[in-house]
Amino acid sequence: MGIPVAQMAAVTRYVLKQRLRGQERYPLVLMLEPLFRCNLSCTGCGKIQYPVSLLKKNLSVEECVRASDECGAPVVSIAGGEPLLHPQIADIANELVARRRFVYLCTNALLLEKKLDSFSPSKYLSFSVHLDGPREEHDFSVCREGGYEDAVKAIRAALSRGFRVTTNTTLFEGANPERMRRFFDDVMELGVEGMMISPGYSYEKAPDQDHFLRRERAHRLFSRMLESPKRSWRFNQSPLFLQFLMGKRDFECTPWGNPTYNLFGWQRPCYLLQDGYVKTFRELMEDTDWSRYGRKSGNPRCQDCMVHCGFEPSAVRAAFESPLTMGATFAAMVTGRL
Amino acid sequence: MTDPRLAELVERAFDYRGYVTLRRSDGSSLVGFVYDRDAGHLELFDESATRRVRVALSEIAGIDFTGEDSALRSQQMWERRKGRLEPRDTPTGWEEQRPILLLVAIDRELRSAAQALGLTRRGNRATGRRSGSDFVALSVGIGGGARAAIAAEQPRAVVSCGFCGGIDQVLSPGDLILATAVRDESGQVVETPESLRTAAARGLQGMRFFEGDLACTSSVAATPAEKRALARPGTLAVDMESFTVARAAADVGIPWLALRAVIDPLESSLPAFTRETHGSHLGPALRYAASGPRAIIDLIRLSRDARRAASSLEAGLQRLGAAIASEETRP
Repeated sequence: MGIPVAQMAAVTRYVLKQRLRGQERYPLVLMLEPLFRCNLSCTGCGKIQYPVSLLKKNLSVEECVRASDECGAPVVSIAGGEPLLHPQIADIANELVARRRFVYLCTNALLLEKKLDSFSPSKYLSFSVHLDGPREEHDFSVCREGGYEDAVKAIRAALSRGFRVTTNTTLFEGANPERMRRFFDDVMELGVEGMMISPGYSYEKAPDQDHFLRRERAHRLFSRMLESPKRSWRFNQSPLFLQFLMGKRDFECTPWGNPTYNLFGWQRPCYLLQDGYVKTFRELMEDTDWSRYGRKSGNPRCQDCMVHCGFEPSAVRAAFESPLTMGATFAAMVTGRL
Repeated sequence: MTDPRLAELVERAFDYRGYVTLRRSDGSSLVGFVYDRDAGHLELFDESATRRVRVALSEIAGIDFTGEDSALRSQQMWERRKGRLEPRDTPTGWEEQRPILLLVAIDRELRSAAQALGLTRRGNRATGRRSGSDFVALSVGIGGGARAAIAAEQPRAVVSCGFCGGIDQVLSPGDLILATAVRDESGQVVETPESLRTAAARGLQGMRFFEGDLACTSSVAATPAEKRALARPGTLAVDMESFTVARAAADVGIPWLALRAVIDPLESSLPAFTRETHGSHLGPALRYAASGPRAIIDLIRLSRDARRAASSLEAGLQRLGAAIASEETRP
């Protein structure tokens, strides 16, 4: 199990509080995008295609903290763009850590070694390093020679300095399950705390439109990749979400589970779709017509989506809905079986 | 919104990843990036992405897609290089490939800049790499050369650095001034870009430095009376170069800073020979020393204060260099 006990306890307390309050919709993870610029141009990324003047903009520390306070989610995932290009990224992380948010700073790690001095190890801070598979696959995905090697070197440096490190892996059409299994072994050997995996979303603005996974193919890939998982593998994810990826469970999307805040405001409805923006978190939660999203809605943009930002909250929600699913979650965490 | 043509244009503009030009019914136009829309309005960032603008749809006569589509460019780039990876030594910072340019007026200041940043000197130019960024220091003399230097070096940030005279009586020799704005003799003001100044101020934390305005003159303000005449609220010190540098950088949208170390405080006078603008002051200083014991004492004091100023400037530039090297500069 790759989720720290303190984080699990904090999330459990938070979810129980929301349920006791009768709160129908509540966020679990704030997706904070303090900038859009990146030092890579990955094939499957549709997040960074903006004019240069917008790419040069940064959210201020105050804006980031205000968004986190407004949202109240116990976990903050700092994405982007490449967050380490933000001149005050350490201040942002420190302020969120001071508020006891579990911060996952998502990075391609190209600048990680250089920037490590600005951060302090904390149980609330984890570098979530982008690794899209073994060397060849990762370098192809990020379109850069040595991308894998540089990321691995930075992971080692961060671990040796006492930082928490996890990895996040996006999978596309053509991924080889056997190679991915060996990749999981390699990553765990590095000593990371846990791994996160997810199929990529078919961003309309991404350069490569041919390699996004359709639902059935995603189920087949994840089933083969995760069947008889090794005990050494630790995933920083709900086991129910992994079972969903394997096709063993079905969930409906929880688009409000990982709300997104960026330069334009609160993104409607989710991290992946951009149907507009609102100024406050409350407006996002209360004024969005949520019935237009998710597979059941018939929205064509949601039909093949299995991305963690919509379905991991569904898995967490499901775990609290019955003793059976809670038991299944617990059993999978203890035994490592999916 | 009832006009289906406009409704279609609005949706296209919202989906477009580039700048559009809104043609208004009153004949005016507005360039911006459309990031949201509702039944009655468009929300835009203006062209510099510094201002949000809300425009009523009823004011819009048409929308032209005048800026480059970033999504299309990204797809074309990807198609062109399909299968080919970018080399490993491609810079990982956004603007790291462009140098930071330090402009000084005199040789003594160039020596301090080179010393502070470990740069290698050749003539009036010193170059080197520090904190992952390239630095170029150039001595361009008093009053000119900044514009040509900026055009030639294409830097990502410019720093005007060197010595100055104190206008605020609180200042002592060796105190550092980080300019918040610079003002010339005609009263024109150039404000220092906020983000870079904030990064520089963070870098200088722990040192004795002041943030305030610099007055820039075309001749040396040598006496207390001349310095007092330049006093304005918020103005701390006087130099002869920072305004020219700031104007030249601001005109081409390059962020700039001015860092100055005080040599002569408000109540002290510089010897008359310092008004002369030729390269070396050695001959005039010797002639001045021969004029009597008082002159010798003045020169000893000036030399001590200059050493103090040079030492502060070096320490300040060391900190500043590291701070702005890691800063993603933006206009």
